Amino acid sequence: MSARNRGTELDLSWISKIQVNQPAVLRRAEQIQARRTVKKEWQAAWLLKAVTFIDLTTLSGDDTSSSIQRLCYKAKYPIREDLLKSLNMHDKGLTTAAVCVYPARVCDAVKALKASGCTIPVASVATGFPSGQTHLKTRLEEIRLAVEDGATEIDVVINRTLVLTGQWEALYDEIRQFRKACGEAHLKTILATGELGSLTNVYKASMIAMMAGSDFIKTSTGKETVNATFPVAIVMLRAIRDFFWKTGNKVGFKPAGGIRSAKDSLAWLSLVKEELGDEWLTPELFRIGASTLLSDIERQIYHHVTGRYAAYHDLPMS
Amino acid sequence: MAATHERPSAREIFITLEYGPVPESHACALAWLDTQDRHLGHYVNGKWLKPEHRNSVPCQDPITGESLATCLQAQAEDVAAAVEAAGTAFENWSGLPGASRAQHLLRLAKMIQKHQRLLWTLESLVSGRAIREVRDGDVPLAQQLLQYHAVQAYTQEEELAGWEPMGVIGLILSPMFSFLEMMWRICPALAVGCTVVVLVPPASPTPLLLAQLAGELGSFPGILNVISGPASLGPVLASHPRVQKEGRALRRTLAGKGAELGLALGAESLLVLTEAADVDSAVEGIVDAAWSDRSAGGLRLLIQESVWDETMRRLQERMARLRGGRGLDGAVDMGTRGAAARDLAQHYAHEARSQGAQVFQAGDSPFFPPTLVSDLPPASPCAQAEVPWPVVVASSFRTAKEALAIANGTPRGASASVWSERLGQALELGYGLQVGTVWINAHGLRNTEVPTGGCKESGSSWHGGADGLYEYLRPSGTPARLSYFSENLNYDTFGLAVPSTLPAGPEIGPSPATPYGLFIGGRFQAPGARSSRPIKDSQGNLHGYVAEGGAKDIRGAVEAAHQAVSGWVGQSPGARATLLWALATALERRESALASRLERHGMELKDAKVEVELSTRQLRAWGARAQAQGHVLQVAELKGPVLRLREPLGVLAVVCPDEWPLLAFVSLLAAALAHGNTVVMVPSGACPIPALEVCQDMAALLPAGLVNVVTGDRDHLTRCLALHQDVQALWYFGSAQGSQFVEWASAGNLKPVWVNRGCPRAWDQEAKGAGAELGLRAARTKALWLPMGD
Repeated sequence: MSARNRGTELDLSWISKIQVNQPAVLRRAEQIQARRTVKKEWQAAWLLKAVTFIDLTTLSGDDTSSSIQRLCYKAKYPIREDLLKSLNMHDKGLTTAAVCVYPARVCDAVKALKASGCTIPVASVATGFPSGQTHLKTRLEEIRLAVEDGATEIDVVINRTLVLTGQWEALYDEIRQFRKACGEAHLKTILATGELGSLTNVYKASMIAMMAGSDFIKTSTGKETVNATFPVAIVMLRAIRDFFWKTGNKVGFKPAGGIRSAKDSLAWLSLVKEELGDEWLTPELFRIGASTLLSDIERQIYHHVTGRYAAYHDLPMS
Repeated sequence: MAATHERPSAREIFITLEYGPVPESHACALAWLDTQDRHLGHYVNGKWLKPEHRNSVPCQDPITGESLATCLQAQAEDVAAAVEAAGTAFENWSGLPGASRAQHLLRLAKMIQKHQRLLWTLESLVSGRAIREVRDGDVPLAQQLLQYHAVQAYTQEEELAGWEPMGVIGLILSPMFSFLEMMWRICPALAVGCTVVVLVPPASPTPLLLAQLAGELGSFPGILNVISGPASLGPVLASHPRVQKEGRALRRTLAGKGAELGLALGAESLLVLTEAADVDSAVEGIVDAAWSDRSAGGLRLLIQESVWDETMRRLQERMARLRGGRGLDGAVDMGTRGAAARDLAQHYAHEARSQGAQVFQAGDSPFFPPTLVSDLPPASPCAQAEVPWPVVVASSFRTAKEALAIANGTPRGASASVWSERLGQALELGYGLQVGTVWINAHGLRNTEVPTGGCKESGSSWHGGADGLYEYLRPSGTPARLSYFSENLNYDTFGLAVPSTLPAGPEIGPSPATPYGLFIGGRFQAPGARSSRPIKDSQGNLHGYVAEGGAKDIRGAVEAAHQAVSGWVGQSPGARATLLWALATALERRESALASRLERHGMELKDAKVEVELSTRQLRAWGARAQAQGHVLQVAELKGPVLRLREPLGVLAVVCPDEWPLLAFVSLLAAALAHGNTVVMVPSGACPIPALEVCQDMAALLPAGLVNVVTGDRDHLTRCLALHQDVQALWYFGSAQGSQFVEWASAGNLKPVWVNRGCPRAWDQEAKGAGAELGLRAARTKALWLPMGD
């Protein structure tokens, strides 16, 4: 892992003058998708790279230890061995970046991964996920318990009320406390951008979260009506760059929610490459939160290798 | 490097995460060239025309230099054949009901849709522009243009009653412009019933393909004819007697040839970035404007000093991520244009550096990289020259007022964008910039419904929207424009000297003493030359003396008019209307005096009274129209409105006709004032006294300098006005020779001119005297784009 973001003192002058122009950002978002694409070998390589950025996620009410076990196995063997072999990639130890589960399933995940002998980190959502509408005390306790159970990354949700009412100091203080409760575990702060009302708020919330010491900022929980979109991502990535320019700290970016197709994942990679550069294209600084994306990537790899489209039964389920 | 031919393996790319080639097959473009045996002629009257014994030029792949085909160069006979075909087709085409023309345009739109891949691969292959821009921008827009203008054709009888098509339109396409620029112009022309001959630069096959697609529709083969040839053929096309409408050199050549001239020149654009801007988005705006293959020209960038460093850092960072390459690659920002464009850019960058500028180049381009020039001394030649593609010239400003002064201080005025999150500031800049199109917080948006054009040296023609249609129409019943060219006119001596005048006998008659002096800056002044000219009445008796104005008086009048501009523009339309109405009332009071003056010039008293009455009516009518200017356009794909503004031209010089000495003077004056212009007027030569009578009222009612009236030798005054660089437009109603001179001389600042070619107008009739034509000429359009969203 790269050096963690220690955060900074709260400096409201970093956000006070910011105005994001929404129509202009929307146009940029359309352009990125139209102006960058990869084909053939490049596509296959980019897709395999995308696999290494995935936080393979299950956040369902009906998760049990067996479904968690299957998820962990898929995280370790994301692409069929023979496909990797024909791309000469079988010896790279390709896995997803992490698995991401509810706090109560952290134990199951840690156990399953240990049993299969791999070191993929376990991420847990926390702090009253997905709405964040519980008492601060229980939210903090939730973090501590997940860390105790072996989660090394905590995806917290912010209190949207504080953003919408402009209580930036209070937001900073809360995230500061989350950071403290995490201890050594990495803090990924979910901004739930679909509920922040404007892109300007997205920028401000991003900046506050980074000042408070988040290691990652994440678009959404996947449970809001609007999830990871390119315009929101552009604003967050620009905030990350501004924070880096001001402090020298590199903060990671995690889009989550609604990223289902291999083609989408390629667009996300080029978006990060365009806005932040190649340095950010590593699992330490870029993750994609997704559950069904992986199987679509595997299908595309299958097609690239064999020249045929895969039947449902050709690929193992996750 | 042999390794470049070997493709990297997925394993290697997995580490580097580089972009790879995304080639678009251009097999269909080559196959189409094969159908012509790689030898393109002209497309005239629905057939390929490949005359013998002509030179041909190679059409090359801009990257490899490989010859794709050869193109014939037209000669004068070929131009004549094309004009002939268009002329014949015009008889049929213009006579069709609008609905039938609409049908035909829609069929052409369909035809383009069916062959869009051919169109975009051919265009990208030959022009080297990024295929994305052609495929996702130009081709769909070409179809939309046809669809939009089909609707205009359909409603023509109703909406454009009283106007008729001009005839054969000659269009000369500059090498910088793509086929889309051609579509912007031919669509409205075809829609209103004109037919077109396009002269395209050598080696541009896409317009030929379009002509072929149009020709293969069968029904009206001659409406669109495309010939390829050198720019030197332009005047040949333009001066053909059948061509009714058509740049500086061209204006000079065409003076007196009877063709109406519509100019669209430079492609340079402007971007004003204020401290209240979303800087990252503005940087994307710069990319859109200069480095995305959307525009043909370079960009002048004005950055507020307080955000200079931040902007430069972000801009240079962004430039490093731009990708250049083959236009047919699906993942490049900038394609590769021909050697001519590269040489131009290289030369400019080199000159700028030698004149003391910083030149920053970045980005990965095998051709010519995106280039950012800064610290160019304002007085250096490069700072004045037009910025070529793909160069951006950045300079700083301190306040919004200074930005306006700098931006408006160049002779170009095509388009500009303003970046500010403060609404008040953005609008102030948007309204204040003297350009044809302003985008607020965006750059380079286009839509069929929004008129696009320029002002100052960027030309005065409009395309798109309703304004575009009028370019190809004239009021019904206007005689076709015949050549009135005179070989004998000596431009150097026309109106140079003023014949001296001597006392001409006793002043007789019952009328009160005539007002005397030049009406400048709100009061009567003695002429600089301190001499006078006698005005005779219809009996040959001396009616009175008027002042003999000269060059110095014109200079003074233009200065006075300039000083009045800001005050008059700042007046609300309501206030303008009030003043015009007050003037009308004053005219009524003076009716008997005016009528008797007119009577002395040989009019029946009854007719004289009618003329005075019509004059007061004109003042009231234009006063009322002053309040109904501009409107809001709603554009698909854009959230937010586009304001279509009608802005004053500035200082307008008017040389009034001899016929209808009072009515013509008042009609022209009223239209000009209602649209917010200030004027310098030369009244009727034979009968200037009624105009001077009106000046007495204007002295009391109107702000000083708003109207200036200079009497004297008309040819001499016309010469002074036409050669004055700071007169923004000139209307001339006088002799054929005078008209020819005005067209020739105004090429100096490319001011829009309106001349009567020696033909008198019926000022008492609605269509000619008070009609829409005056209103169209008295203001220029500006489109102000206001995207919205939070």
